[in-house]
Amino acid sequence: MSLLQRDREIILSNEYVDNFDFAEVEDFVKNASKDLFIAHKFKTNKGKTLVQPRGGFPTYDKMYSLYEQFKKVDVDVLPMTIDSHTRLNDYGSAAKMLRLSEETETDLLNGYPLINQGYRTTRKMVTHFNTPVSLRHGTPDARLLVELAIASGVFEIEGGPITYILPYSKNFPQDKAFLYWKHVERVCAKYSTLNEPINRESFGPLTATLVPPCITIVIQIAEMMLSLEEGVKSFSVSFSQTGSLNQDLVTSKVLRKLANKYANKIGVDDATINLVYHQWMGAFPRDKFKSDSLIDAGAMIAGMVGADKIITKTRAEAFGIPTKEDNAQAVSNVKYTLNMLRGIPAFVDEEEEENLTNEVDEIFEAIFNDSADTLWRKVFNSIKNGIIDVPFSPHIINNNELITVRDDNSNIRIYKKGKLPISEKSFKYEQSKINLGSNPNSVVNQIIKDIGVML
Amino acid sequence: MKVVTGVVGNDIHVVANRLIDISLQSRGYEVFNLGVNTYLEEFIDAVIETQSKVLLISSLNGEAEGWCRELYRYKDNDSLKDVVFVIGGNLSVGEGDESEIVPRYKEYGFDLVFHQSDLLEGLDIIDNYLKGNTKIKIPMPKDLK
Repeated sequence: MSLLQRDREIILSNEYVDNFDFAEVEDFVKNASKDLFIAHKFKTNKGKTLVQPRGGFPTYDKMYSLYEQFKKVDVDVLPMTIDSHTRLNDYGSAAKMLRLSEETETDLLNGYPLINQGYRTTRKMVTHFNTPVSLRHGTPDARLLVELAIASGVFEIEGGPITYILPYSKNFPQDKAFLYWKHVERVCAKYSTLNEPINRESFGPLTATLVPPCITIVIQIAEMMLSLEEGVKSFSVSFSQTGSLNQDLVTSKVLRKLANKYANKIGVDDATINLVYHQWMGAFPRDKFKSDSLIDAGAMIAGMVGADKIITKTRAEAFGIPTKEDNAQAVSNVKYTLNMLRGIPAFVDEEEEENLTNEVDEIFEAIFNDSADTLWRKVFNSIKNGIIDVPFSPHIINNNELITVRDDNSNIRIYKKGKLPISEKSFKYEQSKINLGSNPNSVVNQIIKDIGVML
Repeated sequence: MKVVTGVVGNDIHVVANRLIDISLQSRGYEVFNLGVNTYLEEFIDAVIETQSKVLLISSLNGEAEGWCRELYRYKDNDSLKDVVFVIGGNLSVGEGDESEIVPRYKEYGFDLVFHQSDLLEGLDIIDNYLKGNTKIKIPMPKDLK
């Protein structure tokens, strides 16, 4: 028996898993409908942007009616958002809250407790709707969750060792996360040989708070390489609406171009790389009409950047978890807007594209120059020593020296670079765009204003 | 001057914490930021370890009252007797009356209490308070660049 298989058997002998049948699950994936694979949909859906909302409820019935509502508005990809107890591997609390949710008919979990619901039950729902489902979670150790997702027919797995740690956790050990996700990539790669590939997606928004595009792109490509290294054949890089139309267009072009370049650099030329766009992930206005405008603008930009998939927000964003009606309305509106946007002319801003490309290459040069022997250790060391620095990360490993502000056109610019290994030329370019007074308070005032740019 | 800061309790609201860190640094303080989800004991340990003269605790979800009400017990400690204790943020869960909240926190042992104050105005008050405090040498704010 391989080491991987031995580890999987130990992980799946969890007391909350009801007798996992490896052979049966393998057989299910082998014979599963192509319609369940987003990787298949990406290939056959030439040029159209797939629309995926967010959402997850604790009980089977509410989850089922959420999916029903989405199918009425012709959704392309269904979400399965997992509750926070499951994300922290606390299946005991999730079980208790699921039982109470069922008894009292109130939602006591903020998502679907997949482990407690089990894969046999969940698979019935997924195969009934016969639409790709995307696993949305935020789990540092997702080794068990991903097995049950795939066994349920959920063939897209979001997350990664950096993007699910730095924005979400204060002290989950970063090195452990790399190893746990390495296991997840191997499981995905193994299942990918049976039918269409399992698609992996990285979580580009990070903290969604003034993250400069070069950091987003470096982390997207680092997670992509770590995934492809283990044999994953379909991968989505992603980013979220920056608050600047220009920066979104430039980011999408550079991200696509460099993702392919770095895949080739590690010797991978047979994987499909997709681009996913998240609508605005920062603070939303409390005015629902303004929210509608923000969502429309996001849809329009997704069309302009030629995103393979857009992940939607709702007009109820400022008020908590959206109802299924709000959520379905957002899907319907976004599809309507996207349908208007065909044959958009190509957009070029050579100066911005060159600067962003240089910054990403300069950071990667420093990462590859780290003396560690494997890519994950090089990336780990680079996070530790501030070569990768995510603004507003709560994690103790994050360097927190990088400071960004918006320029007059709302582009996110690097004000203090901390230990970011960008060249003097790149840094000068960033600085030349910033327009702050000399008052030492002005940078803090500017940051406060910039975070609330959509309010 | 050395300052220990962080967010008390099970509170992951990191944005204001980072803004406090940046603002204090721009005013010339040496900042030891313990970040989010910090317990009172960890704050006290850090103040002693770094020999800081100011402890600035913040709270956004309003849990601070439960976590900080026994601060006065620590103040007998010799290495803490010159330390200025400050707390700010949302200091009650739900609606709270400032005129009741501030005296309550002063009883818990805080020298300065800010309930839903503007960040920069609050820091100005702290600067001035420290200038009037004869036991402490005041840093000159230096420009960010």
